Amino acid sequence: MTDLFTLEELDVDGAIQETASKVDSHSRGMFLRNAGLGIGALAGAGVLTGALPSLASAATSATAASDVAILNFALTLEYLESSFYAEAVMKGALSGETKTFATVVAGHEAAHVAALKAALGKSAVAEPKFDFKGTTGDQAMFEATSEVLEYTGVHAYLGQVGNIKSKDILAAAGSILPVEAWHASWIADLRRHGAKPYPAPTAFASGLTMAQVLAAVKGTGFIVA
Amino acid sequence: MSELHGGLPLSKIDKDGAVAEAAAKVATDTRSGFLRKAGIGGVAVIGGTAFLGALPALADAAAIPASDIAILNFALTLEYLESAFYAEAVAGGALSDPDTVRFASVVSQHEADHVAFLKSVLGSKAVATPTFDFQGTTADEGMFQATADALENTGVHAYLGQVPNIKTPAVLLGAGRILPIEARHAAWIRDIRFAGGTTVEQTPAPGAFEDGFTMAAILATVKATGFITPA
Repeated sequence: MTDLFTLEELDVDGAIQETASKVDSHSRGMFLRNAGLGIGALAGAGVLTGALPSLASAATSATAASDVAILNFALTLEYLESSFYAEAVMKGALSGETKTFATVVAGHEAAHVAALKAALGKSAVAEPKFDFKGTTGDQAMFEATSEVLEYTGVHAYLGQVGNIKSKDILAAAGSILPVEAWHASWIADLRRHGAKPYPAPTAFASGLTMAQVLAAVKGTGFIVA
Repeated sequence: MSELHGGLPLSKIDKDGAVAEAAAKVATDTRSGFLRKAGIGGVAVIGGTAFLGALPALADAAAIPASDIAILNFALTLEYLESAFYAEAVAGGALSDPDTVRFASVVSQHEADHVAFLKSVLGSKAVATPTFDFQGTTADEGMFQATADALENTGVHAYLGQVPNIKTPAVLLGAGRILPIEARHAAWIRDIRFAGGTTVEQTPAPGAFEDGFTMAAILATVKATGFITPA
């Protein structure tokens, strides 16, 4: 946990925290519902129709409900990332390598969303509504937020490694995890040019639990409905 | 295989043919020597399961299957290679770009930590370090950067390729704690190499998905470098 960036550390001028504090206390519950992690949604069908080659064989009714929940948890985070980068690219406020970063990563996150949606089929949760609080229209805020989101992505996937039951789903998560790590390292180097915290801040990474990730996401106030 | 996804493959770093030329001179039993050293040969994997784990998650792993021991020794051999590569580059003092010097110093420590971790987990089952000859790649900044890029990709591919094969949950978690760090190293050196890079192929994140490689593919790639010298 020593390599954990907190939102507080990155939110230099307090704008994110200030905005987040205005969000009502129901956000987490709404996020949980949207992510299909509520109890009712877990009891649903396990019908998968995979698009990723490695997930195609997971398309059986035998897929564990817990794995469906993990995929929907991942899908919700990918929705969040994808929407964040798409909005940043659309607004056109970024320049230099940061603009290249946003364009490249937007494509990756959209591909992750598509793969997870295809894998989940009709079990896929719907996309939440987002409000990125102006962080997509300012270069520095975009960079800081991106680093937090990518860090969260890596550690969210890592935290589920021990929970995933299907080898196909584990392989699919494995194909995404290092890409999120690339993103995290790239934006870190772009922001600080190799200064501490380094693009590779520690020798070992630690996973975050689903509860930790949900709390971090809630703290941003980015999910509004 | 998936060179489009994984960034620079080890086979592509040898722009002037020097590495390939040197590798061609290495005795043809290099691979079996590597296999022996890596404990991947038939006999070496059949051992006890006495662990002296340092990492809490692995310390209480009572019975690790022989196949997982082999995977851990495979990983250890790659970490030996990375660790020796960076240590030699740092000691050699030929790097001058401040970002590259810092990268080498930080990553050298990480790889040494990975070696120490895997050795402590394997205890008496740990293979010994091979001897290496990095063919001059640690003494030239451009070659160092290209080789580091390729080695870190190889590390990611190697760990990812073993994910479906690992039987012990604690071993899977241990590999999971190392894998994203190797990916971070790869993106870091690519950002140093391609700062301001404008093509998708040159970016630190060259694809939306990454592939695992089989142990055989990794071993063939490593052999081709000639970095591991015959015993």
